[in-house]
Amino acid sequence: MALVLILLPILAGCALFALPRGDRLWSRVIGCAVAALTFELPLLVGNDGAFAVRWLSRPFTASLHFAWSGVSLWLVLLLALCTFCAIVATNVAQTRTLIALLLLLEGTMMGVFTARDILAFALFWDLMLIPPFFALVEWGTHRETAWRFLIYNFSGGLTLLLATAAFGILSGSTDVIGSTHQFAGSWAPWIFAGFAFAFAVKTPLWPLHTWMPATYADSPPPMVAVISAVQSKAGLYGFIVIALPCLRTAMADWRWLIIALALVSLLYGAFIALTQTDTKRIVAYSSLSHLGLIVLAIASFNPVALQGAVVYIVAHGLFSAALFLILGYMEEREETRSISKLGGIGANNPKLAGAFTIAALAALGLPGLAGFAGEIVILTGVFKAGYLWPALIALVPIVIASAYMLRLLQDAINGPVIATLPQRRDLTFAEALAVAPLLAALLFIGIYPHAILTAVLR
Amino acid sequence: MGIDGAYPLLFVIWLVPLAGAIVNWAFGPQLKRSATIIGSAAIGIPFVATLMAWNAATQSSGAAVGAHQNLFSWMPGFDFGLLLDPLSLIWALIITGVGFLIHAYSVGYMWSDSAIARFFAYMNFFVFAMLTLVLSDNFVGLLVGWGLVGLASYFLIGFWFFKPVAVAAARKAFVINVVGDVAIMFAIFMMFAKIGSITFANVFAHVGALDGWLFWTCLFLFIGAAAKSAQIPLHTWLPDAMEGPTPVSALIHAATMVTAGVYLVARCWPLWNASHSAQLLVGTIGGLTALAGALLGIAQWDIKRILAYSTMSQIGYMIMGVGVGAYQAGVAHFFTHAFFKACLFLGAGIVIHELADEQDIRRMGGMRSRAPVAFFAMFAAVLAISGFPGFAGFFSKDQVVFGALEHGHPWLYAVGIVTAGITAYYMFRLFFVTFFGTYRGDVDPEHEPARGESHAPAWIMALPVAILGIFSVIAGYAMIGSNPPWSRLFAHTFPSENLPPVAIGEGWTTAILFVVMAAGIAIAYARYATPVALANAPARLRLESERMPAVLVRLFYFDDVIDWLFVKPSLALGRFFGSWFDPDFIDGAVRGLVTLSTELAAVVRYFQNGLLRSYALIVVFGAACFAIYYALQGTVR
Repeated sequence: MALVLILLPILAGCALFALPRGDRLWSRVIGCAVAALTFELPLLVGNDGAFAVRWLSRPFTASLHFAWSGVSLWLVLLLALCTFCAIVATNVAQTRTLIALLLLLEGTMMGVFTARDILAFALFWDLMLIPPFFALVEWGTHRETAWRFLIYNFSGGLTLLLATAAFGILSGSTDVIGSTHQFAGSWAPWIFAGFAFAFAVKTPLWPLHTWMPATYADSPPPMVAVISAVQSKAGLYGFIVIALPCLRTAMADWRWLIIALALVSLLYGAFIALTQTDTKRIVAYSSLSHLGLIVLAIASFNPVALQGAVVYIVAHGLFSAALFLILGYMEEREETRSISKLGGIGANNPKLAGAFTIAALAALGLPGLAGFAGEIVILTGVFKAGYLWPALIALVPIVIASAYMLRLLQDAINGPVIATLPQRRDLTFAEALAVAPLLAALLFIGIYPHAILTAVLR
Repeated sequence: MGIDGAYPLLFVIWLVPLAGAIVNWAFGPQLKRSATIIGSAAIGIPFVATLMAWNAATQSSGAAVGAHQNLFSWMPGFDFGLLLDPLSLIWALIITGVGFLIHAYSVGYMWSDSAIARFFAYMNFFVFAMLTLVLSDNFVGLLVGWGLVGLASYFLIGFWFFKPVAVAAARKAFVINVVGDVAIMFAIFMMFAKIGSITFANVFAHVGALDGWLFWTCLFLFIGAAAKSAQIPLHTWLPDAMEGPTPVSALIHAATMVTAGVYLVARCWPLWNASHSAQLLVGTIGGLTALAGALLGIAQWDIKRILAYSTMSQIGYMIMGVGVGAYQAGVAHFFTHAFFKACLFLGAGIVIHELADEQDIRRMGGMRSRAPVAFFAMFAAVLAISGFPGFAGFFSKDQVVFGALEHGHPWLYAVGIVTAGITAYYMFRLFFVTFFGTYRGDVDPEHEPARGESHAPAWIMALPVAILGIFSVIAGYAMIGSNPPWSRLFAHTFPSENLPPVAIGEGWTTAILFVVMAAGIAIAYARYATPVALANAPARLRLESERMPAVLVRLFYFDDVIDWLFVKPSLALGRFFGSWFDPDFIDGAVRGLVTLSTELAAVVRYFQNGLLRSYALIVVFGAACFAIYYALQGTVR
């Protein structure tokens, strides 16, 4: 069944190119239906849905082995939901092409999140970089950004592939995700370094993040909603399902470096977000900061922190998708992304302002919304694992986050109405529909985060 | 009859305000002014339920109150539940009771505001959040309430979101309160790591397990308390918060939310009782805040800012009380303060409404005849806050100050006495300047725009003020006499101690308190209310503002220091990272790597030039190298 999750969006995405270039209606209908199906399927079928065929026997065994369970399941659901919302929100000159790219992105990322074989994981890892690249080429303002995104992430893909090959040759099989296989030996640190580099670039982790702000700022909002919400989680997912179980000792040796980089990301992203003026860049740097927290959780090797990390992965996916979609709406209405020019939007756009407020509050960790649940459980675990200072330092960005998120929120929606800005009507039905499920999920998980864990711990 | 075990009314108390908030928020545009009825009822119903609980709890002596309700497991190890014991009951009573009066008052105050439904939605939401805070049976639930009251406060300070000052004040309040939130979070980490639980019952039963961490747990909990309760140095948001509508100032920034810190310390008394250094710290900060707030109150001219500093100062008293170990006294002062401070704010609101939003007391005067209800009610409240014998504040303030002496803190006792004198002075200054003499402003009493627009009857604002004025007199009588309801309620809540007798008896300290307070009133009278002073009021007030010491006008430089220590460096760091370090240094290094590889490629490309002769040359060169290599190898062997 897992194969359906991969092939259905890819085939549908290819099929959309058969539609006329200017089509809007059918591509949306098909896109929404496919995304909804991929959301429903894991829920209907239940656990696992494994698919496996032998792919390679020499020099090591590899399979096309796909399944969902535990963390995978939540990332699959998050991906399907974000894709659905992004497709509903898509409103650009070439709707058909963007929706097709979104579907291709969904299919390839489904491959990453359901792969049970590291080689298949690495294959889809590279494939998932292609759709955002074409989106950047088509809608971005600088061609350079697209190449930078592709080359930077492909270099990660290269080390991933090399590490996978070395892992396969030395341990005989790459079909190890989800098993209890552990790899140790003199090569382990190098293999871990290869994996970690790829994951750190994708997450991103300081100092490998400089491809990200431009990419997030330049991509069309539906695309950046999906890549910031879900694609950035591929690296974290890799840490959780490959590095943590299979290369445990190697990762434990490197953990202080990872913790240090995570803390630097946390603080560095927060400070920069405080002074940026481009709305999308503020959220991009805040992402750098927030994802550092999850890396910290993983590197603390504590089960409580890891539970928090899973909650926060979902939470961050939800609020960053919502934020980028809403920033897209705002850019479309006001024709600017500079917060020094924005202001007073809330007076005439109460729905936009309300949605923006909830998303921003979730991002700054308001108790009662999902972000808080992740933050407090992660840091409780990190502290319990004996990391007193990292836990204390990680509290500072939470305070800064409230400052930059409120700056972003208030400078845009509050204050007197600015007459020079275009006055457009409030959110349309489709626009509201695109963010409503994200916001509802943020509220639900905030009140009852246990729901996520019951599935993960099973 | 006591209350024990599961108590279904708990859900009524807790959730009805939330329902009101949701209805008013979702249907606000349709409801318009009907939102006022839903909004007020959503607080009135829980109030009745709380009163029933109060009656059940105080009917007989030795009554036990400890209703407990499990809710759900929020995360593994984090179980949520509700708890109604004497402490949360007294808070719930004030939140819903005073809250209901303020909601009723708001009907009149906000009548002409087009966003009245949104206002009531936020107010109801605040009450829900505050009840979550006080009814939680664990630290994380408390923290959720703690954050949500901060959010409600943010929404309501910035209620008039088109005013840049209000927006900035809302942000400042929120960010400073997040400092407190994360501090409480850190305390939770310590408790979870050392005790393995976050429920009050488990933590307080295993205080010993915290051993070396006890002081730090108390310290971080108190940072949270200080941020919420405007204690030095985290108080700077409170005066700015006065940008919100006046009922908000009365409910959130006087009667309830800002006393959450007092609740937290009183709730965690087993922690504080075990750590004397934590007690000393909290008592000292409370005393200093009481003094600093009172001193700053002298220098203000905005009627709401004077009241804001007086709030800060009175909460300083409460914190001092619960800090030194006089828990019941601190809580008692919260109880009486809620009435007289809400009365003062709402009375000030009537005056402000009367004068078309004028808040500067220099442009008031003679309001006695124009706002008689406010005059009489505020007179009672001013006497109460000053600690005039027989008025509510007297009983509780006397207990707090004497408690400091009793628990062995003579310096804090002295600070409390001095502060009481200053309090009497600046509160009567406000009272005389506002209500006595002749009107000094320029709002024509014949054509009041405020009254003309508002069609709500005047009594709807006057009645709550009058009721609060009455309670400012009588609230203290709940705690005196033989076996009063107050003692019955708190009989088993706090530890009973056998304290050594102090050098001077309670009668003497009360007398000292009275003399100092009377001196404060006398000075205020001499400066502002003698016939001479009233005749030359405009000139004298102008002179006073010109001669006000800079250190008071600049508010002891707290804002400037925080700005220099935290805000400016953060922004500078952000700019340094964002505009140079990130794009030029880190990304520069990445670009350098790219350039390097292109250069290397160019070097390699040089040999791939497509010329047959050069390839032949390379082949010959390579063959020569091999030949030399093997030749050398042969000789060596």
